[in-house]
Amino acid sequence: MSGIPIDLACELLTKSLAAWHLVGVVHRSIDEAIVILGTPKDIRIDPAPPDLMFRWMITIDNRKRGAISFVSVLRQVREALDPGYASTRVRVAVSPLVLS
Amino acid sequence: MPADVIPVSVLTGFLGSGKTTILGHLLRQLEFSRTAIIINEFGEIGLDHQLVKASEDSFIELQTGCLCCKVRTDLEQTLQDLLQRRDEGNCPSFNRVVIETSGLADPAPILQTLMTDTSIAGRLVLGGVVTTVDAVTGAGTLTSESISQKQVAIADRIVLTKLDLVGGAQHALIRRLKELNAAAPVLCADHGRIDSPSLFGDGLSVPQARSLAVGSWMAEEAHGHSHAQHHADIETYAVVRTQPIRAVALTLLLETLAEHCGADLLRLKGIVNIAESPDQPAVIHGVQHVFHAPVWLERWPSNDRRSRIVFITRCIPQRWVEVLLDAISAEVVDLLGKAPAS
Repeated sequence: MSGIPIDLACELLTKSLAAWHLVGVVHRSIDEAIVILGTPKDIRIDPAPPDLMFRWMITIDNRKRGAISFVSVLRQVREALDPGYASTRVRVAVSPLVLS
Repeated sequence: MPADVIPVSVLTGFLGSGKTTILGHLLRQLEFSRTAIIINEFGEIGLDHQLVKASEDSFIELQTGCLCCKVRTDLEQTLQDLLQRRDEGNCPSFNRVVIETSGLADPAPILQTLMTDTSIAGRLVLGGVVTTVDAVTGAGTLTSESISQKQVAIADRIVLTKLDLVGGAQHALIRRLKELNAAAPVLCADHGRIDSPSLFGDGLSVPQARSLAVGSWMAEEAHGHSHAQHHADIETYAVVRTQPIRAVALTLLLETLAEHCGADLLRLKGIVNIAESPDQPAVIHGVQHVFHAPVWLERWPSNDRRSRIVFITRCIPQRWVEVLLDAISAEVVDLLGKAPAS
């Protein structure tokens, strides 16, 4: 089990595609997977089996990879669909606002 | 704040909006008598510094070129030089720094430098951002110049100038400023004169002010402005959660926002009920993909213990942020195997 209800995961993917200005339609399949249609690549996301260290399995054009979190799923989907995507890593300021 | 930590305030605003006039008046006031000014002018020949008369204990550094474009090197070097000269007694012992940006500058990279530069860490802290807006031309500028919108959006305080030319504050302009930045107080300058404590209050850099500052951010939300307000492509909204948020969930949220849309996250400020520390809220603060380490308040500033995070963004949908937080929280709670502490 992933911890995220499938409907919530579908909504997050739908909103994510819109936020990234990408075209695609997110569906919940009858076997409880998430499928993204209308994109240049075939993408399917399944909850990982309980015996694996992953929480999600993501299949992109028949290549299956694991993801330890849904944040990782989002990253893989974006990398697959957005050729111009260059992620920005968070930076933490060197000192707190108020020094103790 | 230790006595030897120096607040750095940023004075920004579009071309001709009255920054230098205000600065000139401020420097005549007693509390600004020990101020180091960094004036950034766009162009090879600067004039603004000749228009500002500082007291004997204040002085002016001049940078040419666009500060926001060269900020990583130029501003860092200027601040290092200032501190070194202060240490060696080669300049007045200033207790405040004000950076006046060029009218075309994006203030966000300047804030990032102040927040992340290891060479000045511990000696300088970000004070606040003051943005001037010309009451005569401001509305038009806000429509046509995206940099002007950004200057307003990330301000802690907004100052209307040249009101004498239009006979007072215009409701339409005030409304547009509130659309861009509902949390920043809008102050009025009278021929450049303005009450200095209200202008360069130290915001988050002074412990006593933190609760007040947090209260100010959230005041608009409490008055029913939690829904998104937008102007052009800049939106301001608050994400509110009743349930405490796990620390790791908050971290993942901020990392994901930075990773996918850091450049469009103009500013983020919030008070968060962390599940692991329910009695001591965390104040978070970020500019684009750079975040301060959380500041922990000793207690909640009011009976309202909800997490409230104010976003100022360029085209980052509110609903996406909300769903992202909910999904991350659900996964973290499932991973930890228990519900959040109440």
